[in-house]
Amino acid sequence: MDVVSVFIPCTVDLFLPHIGEATVSLLRRVGVKPIYHMGQTCCGQPAINAGYREQAKKAAKHFIQVFGDDEEVVSPSGSCVCMVKYHYPELLSEEPQWRNRAEELSLRIHELSQYLVDILKVEDLGASFGGKVAYHESCHILRGLGVSEQPKKLIRAVKGAQLVPLNAADACCGFGGEFANRYPDISESMVRDKAGDYLSSGADLLLLCEPGCLLNIGGFLSRNHPGKKVMHLASFLAHYQETGNNGQ
Amino acid sequence: MEVKTEQFSEVAKEELRKAYTFLKAGATFVRIRRETALSTFPDAAAAQAYGAIIRAEAIARLPELLEEFEKNALSNGAKMFWARDANEASQYIVRLAKERGIKYVTKGKSMVTEEIGLNEALEKNGVKTWETDLGEFIIQLLGVPPFHIVGPAMNIPVAKVRDLFMEKIDLKEPTSDPVQLGHAARIFLRDKFHRVDMGIAGVNMAVAETGTIVNVENEGNIRFNKSSPRTQISVMSLEKVVPTLEDALHLVRLLCRNCTGQKLSVYVSMDNGPKKSDEIDGPEELIIVIVDNGRSRIYQDTIAREAMRCIRCGACLNGCPVYRQIGGYAYGWVYSGPMGQVLNPLLLGLEKTQDLYRATTLCGSCKSICPAGIDHPSLFLHYRAKDVSGDAALRAKKTPMMERIFFRLWMWAVTRYRLWNWGVRFVRPFVNKEAHGGMLREVGGLFKGWFRSRDLPAMAKKTFHDRWIEAQKTEFRSQKSEATTEKI
Amino acid sequence: MKQSARDEILNKLKAAPRKTIPSRSERPVLRELSLTPEELIETFSKNLSQEAGIVHRVKDRREALEKLSQIAKEEGLKKVIATTDDVIASLDLAAWGKENDVRVMTPQDFDSRDSFKDAVFEEADAGITGADFAVAESGTLGLIHNKDQARLTSLAPILHVAIVPVERMVAVYEQVIEKVFGEKKNLPSQFCFITGPSMTADIRGVPFKGMHGPRKVIVILVGE
Repeated sequence: MDVVSVFIPCTVDLFLPHIGEATVSLLRRVGVKPIYHMGQTCCGQPAINAGYREQAKKAAKHFIQVFGDDEEVVSPSGSCVCMVKYHYPELLSEEPQWRNRAEELSLRIHELSQYLVDILKVEDLGASFGGKVAYHESCHILRGLGVSEQPKKLIRAVKGAQLVPLNAADACCGFGGEFANRYPDISESMVRDKAGDYLSSGADLLLLCEPGCLLNIGGFLSRNHPGKKVMHLASFLAHYQETGNNGQ
Repeated sequence: MEVKTEQFSEVAKEELRKAYTFLKAGATFVRIRRETALSTFPDAAAAQAYGAIIRAEAIARLPELLEEFEKNALSNGAKMFWARDANEASQYIVRLAKERGIKYVTKGKSMVTEEIGLNEALEKNGVKTWETDLGEFIIQLLGVPPFHIVGPAMNIPVAKVRDLFMEKIDLKEPTSDPVQLGHAARIFLRDKFHRVDMGIAGVNMAVAETGTIVNVENEGNIRFNKSSPRTQISVMSLEKVVPTLEDALHLVRLLCRNCTGQKLSVYVSMDNGPKKSDEIDGPEELIIVIVDNGRSRIYQDTIAREAMRCIRCGACLNGCPVYRQIGGYAYGWVYSGPMGQVLNPLLLGLEKTQDLYRATTLCGSCKSICPAGIDHPSLFLHYRAKDVSGDAALRAKKTPMMERIFFRLWMWAVTRYRLWNWGVRFVRPFVNKEAHGGMLREVGGLFKGWFRSRDLPAMAKKTFHDRWIEAQKTEFRSQKSEATTEKI
Repeated sequence: MKQSARDEILNKLKAAPRKTIPSRSERPVLRELSLTPEELIETFSKNLSQEAGIVHRVKDRREALEKLSQIAKEEGLKKVIATTDDVIASLDLAAWGKENDVRVMTPQDFDSRDSFKDAVFEEADAGITGADFAVAESGTLGLIHNKDQARLTSLAPILHVAIVPVERMVAVYEQVIEKVFGEKKNLPSQFCFITGPSMTADIRGVPFKGMHGPRKVIVILVGE
């Protein structure tokens, strides 16, 4: 059985652990054995985004120590995968041994939908949902990783689900980590537009693959449109299982 | 131009109240136009990538290309003046005007002339300046900064333009027809073009191999500024140089498609020195002013210097989700949108422009659009890192002590998972103090920006980490009991 | 002695760390290069028409002058300013003008820049020029400016009529550059690409023609 190492972003670990559980559950469904390294903490994005490169380097090295020997690493977050793939080699560019390890790791780390569709060649995860769904294209996943078709393929394979177009699907939702708290007026205006596009799409549910976007859009909906839901694709697929074997 | 970069947040707030729906509606239209225009290339991605290589080479070879450009421009008969800073450049041009008894100049749109405060310097010295690009003309009369680097007056309501023209350019019949208003401007400015003795223009590209100056425009005002008067002054910031004419034309193809969705702008004029003695029009003297204004300092930083690749197409503004919300005023200086966010901090210093490289979600739209291959998000991170290290060359502002302490602690925890998990357990009850029904709603302090309009799930009582451990234990227990059962 | 600004700037730039110059890939090839001469004319016409330029195709010099007469009538031309480039010179516009009751001025009629400018800004109903090139890739004219091709002729009057032999049609800008700038010496004081009438959309994004330059551009392509 293939073994895959699961990298659970700190946002998921602390605030959205069910996404991690869903990820594990889905991997098991497709016949892969997920392992979880206790030593993982954070990919270092908060540090590099705040300009604390020395601290980010330490986080990077720790990450590489933890995941360095894994054949495949999978994560339900595009921004964290981008961090490892693109920022680690640059961060560690002055230390050739670390840089090489970072470059090697960058070939073996994948965002979840990318892993399922491109590597495992699986699209049908046995889910069923009788309703309309819309998909928000998160910035790091779309522009950072070039992943767009993969989540949509997974959605289209869900029995009964109808993927409806979302206006400005690839427009940024206004999260941007610290941005949302530091520039709340602008961020609010952006997430309001995103929520508006969701509402006018006619979708029953909004799906996405990025925990940060989920916190942002979900947080705004919770406060302003309590009935409208947004889910991470992993949670959605794990929860709406045909066989009644619901997720957590 | 007055620097208001430190008022970013206030101005952004004000601008948000105006709810620029036209920017959001326009964004789709502009995007389709750009994509359609780029699709006229057999391979648009390759064409964009080639543009990036040209500009990367231009920056890498900057000093030698400038020398080559100078040599060839001089042998074409042009004159050249090198200016260290804004003051040297604008005072030189003032002197040229005074020496020639110039009463007024006509100007084409040139952001570097805004950078050096040329109009103010000329006016202070009794030389009237007339902006002749319609958008620049309008904002000059209104006394407001540019809203967009390509369409500086695009946000001005038609009624305001009408009132302005009635007051300032003798528009007789009130009209709300932009075409009629444009016609009135044409008539007014035509007289200026007719009698002008000194025309000032910017430079889109300076071609090293031939000493050629290239200008790209749709209205024709730059051609007038260059061909009607006896003296032509072309002002360029020093990064505008490109190796060859073929390179320049490839970039012009990209510039026009990215900027306005055109294959080519209406006029592309290329100057090789002043007019020949037997020509009846064209300048008798062509003076090129090369402006440094901090660029040779920026050039020392091998990462930051790539911001100078910018060809001023403005496509990054059109694609930016933040610009789309707030418009151009908040950026507080000559350059707005993502290109302003990478350039203004370098030219003005990081200390004065703290918000410009932080008011971004790092969404990467700008980077994906840029025909010069600028990696704006990486540059924003670079400037932030300079604030942490307190870099003097970029005039950084050292980050606050509390933040530095936080990241020191964060680093300790992130490399020690037990400490990390213990920290999580420690912090949770404080964070979740205000939680109701699993959600945090009213949290003040450091995070009130978020909570003003958003909830947040409470920190999970059992993190994924905890749940995994528990699940392993359960599995182990059940395996154990299975084994025991089997034994029986 | 204090360094000149030039030397100071250049020395600073030269003292900076060097970066490797990225290697060039092949310059991307354009589709227009594989078009036949007839297809080039078609492409040119289509592109220029899209930018509101008007294109007429005529067989020869005689038909070109006939077309010009037609235009003069339609546009109510009384006075025009013409260049003296080889195309226009070969048409004998002086004679044409007499036959069509149109006063044809040329820059040679004027002894000073100022008097020429008065004519071209205030008197000419149209500017009539030849063109050195027509570029199919964008419906663009290429004009070498010199004593026979005064700059303001194609810029100041509200109408610009360009008469272009079809032999001057090329596919892409590079072919023009090679011819005009290839020797890197004896360069014209100015070379212009012109694609249709002057335009702007600076007031609320509403586009219109004839901002400062001509409001109308008519190209007469001559030849088989």
